[in-house]
Amino acid sequence: MSDVTLKNVRKSYGALEVIHGIDLDIRSGEFVVFVGPSGCGKSTLLRMIAGLEAISGGDIGIGGRVVNNVPSPQRGIAMVFQSYALYPHMSVYENMAFGLRLSKAPQAEIDRRVNEAARILQIESYLSRMPKQLSGGQRQRVAIGRAIVRDPKVFLFDEPLSNLDAALRAQTRVEIAKLHETLDATMIYVTHDQVEAMTLADKIVVLNAGVIEQVGTPLELYRSPANTFVAEFIGGNKMNLLPVKGSASGVALPNGRTVPFAGSDLSHAVTLGVRPEHLERVGADSAQISGAVEVIEQLGEFAIVHFRTREGDEMTIKLGGAPDIALHEDIHVALDPAVGHVFDDAGRALRAPAG
Amino acid sequence: MAREVMDQDRPSRLTALALAFLALIWVSPFFWLMTNAIDPAATGQLEVPQSIGIDNFVQALSGSAGRQFVNSMLIAAGTATLTVVVAISAAYPLSRMRIPGRNAFLWALVLLRMLPATGVIVPMYFAAQAAGLLNMMGIVLALTILNLPFTLLLLKNFFDTVPIELEEAAYVEGASLWTILIKIVLPLSKAGIAVVWFFSFTGAWNEFLLPLIFSRTEAGFPMSIGLYSAFGRQGSIDYGFLAAFSIIYAAPAVGVYFLLRRNMNTGFAGVGVKG
Repeated sequence: MSDVTLKNVRKSYGALEVIHGIDLDIRSGEFVVFVGPSGCGKSTLLRMIAGLEAISGGDIGIGGRVVNNVPSPQRGIAMVFQSYALYPHMSVYENMAFGLRLSKAPQAEIDRRVNEAARILQIESYLSRMPKQLSGGQRQRVAIGRAIVRDPKVFLFDEPLSNLDAALRAQTRVEIAKLHETLDATMIYVTHDQVEAMTLADKIVVLNAGVIEQVGTPLELYRSPANTFVAEFIGGNKMNLLPVKGSASGVALPNGRTVPFAGSDLSHAVTLGVRPEHLERVGADSAQISGAVEVIEQLGEFAIVHFRTREGDEMTIKLGGAPDIALHEDIHVALDPAVGHVFDDAGRALRAPAG
Repeated sequence: MAREVMDQDRPSRLTALALAFLALIWVSPFFWLMTNAIDPAATGQLEVPQSIGIDNFVQALSGSAGRQFVNSMLIAAGTATLTVVVAISAAYPLSRMRIPGRNAFLWALVLLRMLPATGVIVPMYFAAQAAGLLNMMGIVLALTILNLPFTLLLLKNFFDTVPIELEEAAYVEGASLWTILIKIVLPLSKAGIAVVWFFSFTGAWNEFLLPLIFSRTEAGFPMSIGLYSAFGRQGSIDYGFLAAFSIIYAAPAVGVYFLLRRNMNTGFAGVGVKG
């Protein structure tokens, strides 16, 4: 039993409330990612679960036990810090053994567990080195190893990859996914990077300004974002949002053309969202939206083309390969109603694409 | 043109001579000290010793001179250790807790300490007299109090450089506040603590006025006062004894220098490991 439950959890600093009542159930063995822009409260929430921050209201439960007043070491958690927080004056072995030594574990037990963790993370060959002799990626492994050694019920990761370069980040991401598979432990992972959230999570919790915007699997969030915030935050390329006028049968684009949506009343619709990868480039005669190209981001495998519509809205479209298009050229796009997201004036989703 | 420059660079005989002369002037007091210290029949002249022996050193380490050496050691080591212990216990909370106005408080203390200690020696004397501390314990306490403003500021700044995440990581792993301090914070602040200890040690070792006023008996005099009184002993000055005494008096400073160098070289390494 290593599920984590948050019930109406609040945090205030004086009169300033930064976490406004979070309810969340994390099942045993689940990999949950807290994602959101900086300052959204995701790290604070993690630190409250860790016991590094006091909670101002509500209940936190770990393994079926309310831990509000349980000190951190007795919560059965291990935390991996953004800066790794390796003890600079201790060898890799001693860094990993520190917690076990504090709990007065016998030396044979310490040896066994440190070597086991080192084997899993493939850091056996530098157990005797000092942290400053290691590269960023190696330090990261030691920090994770220090968590594994303690055999916790819940692993907490606070932006563990943000100090690594892009290539190493991608590689370590895969390793953390494998690690979750191997250890089968509950993991809570904080990041501001939606790619990490999408690739690692069983369940993503999108946070914004101290409230949960949406909870769901990566695909649920991608396909059916509950609001414009999630719609823009999740997905490799930012979703296009266009101001529209809703009616009973569909929405009217800024240029007057109507996109029909059958079967839903969209009279309160004010925003139409469509992902760049779901727009289709068409000829001038079948265009629903036309504009002029402003920037082309050529990535080889695909290109992101930024254009400004005749009505002045900025939009992006993702085109496969190396598209035959130049700066300032006209571009015409069409959108299938099947891929459109519709939002009301509060940003709430009225309709999401089926499937 | 290039040749002229080269000529200028070449050391001339004249500069060599001038430098040798300066070196001689520089070295001669030390030479005087050494020759007189190892000459049992020293006369205070700068000359080659007639005979060589360690009688002067034996004399400088026995009797009341030996007691003064022990007194100096006790005062210096006691002051340094007490200063470090008190400063750590105050600087750590000052570094970690959000106490309003803590920096203003520290700088105000330092400002007060900028006033010459001589200025407060009279009230300190009366305070010590009232508390019955006109003895070695009183000297150690008084010197510690005078040391604290600077050492507090120095150690607080050192503790500030130890990342708080290291302490949080240790806390999550089950370390008590005490364990965190002993196993994490202090080892990482070794260089700062060493500086504070050694400077307090040399400061107390060299202190003259305070021990002179606080020590009511000759048995309580440290070496600094002993050196002063050795000048007028029995109407004549025993130069051999005085030279040996001075060398012994200076020795801890040299020792401290080497200890400090070793600690400074190892202490700073590794603080703040990041990616």
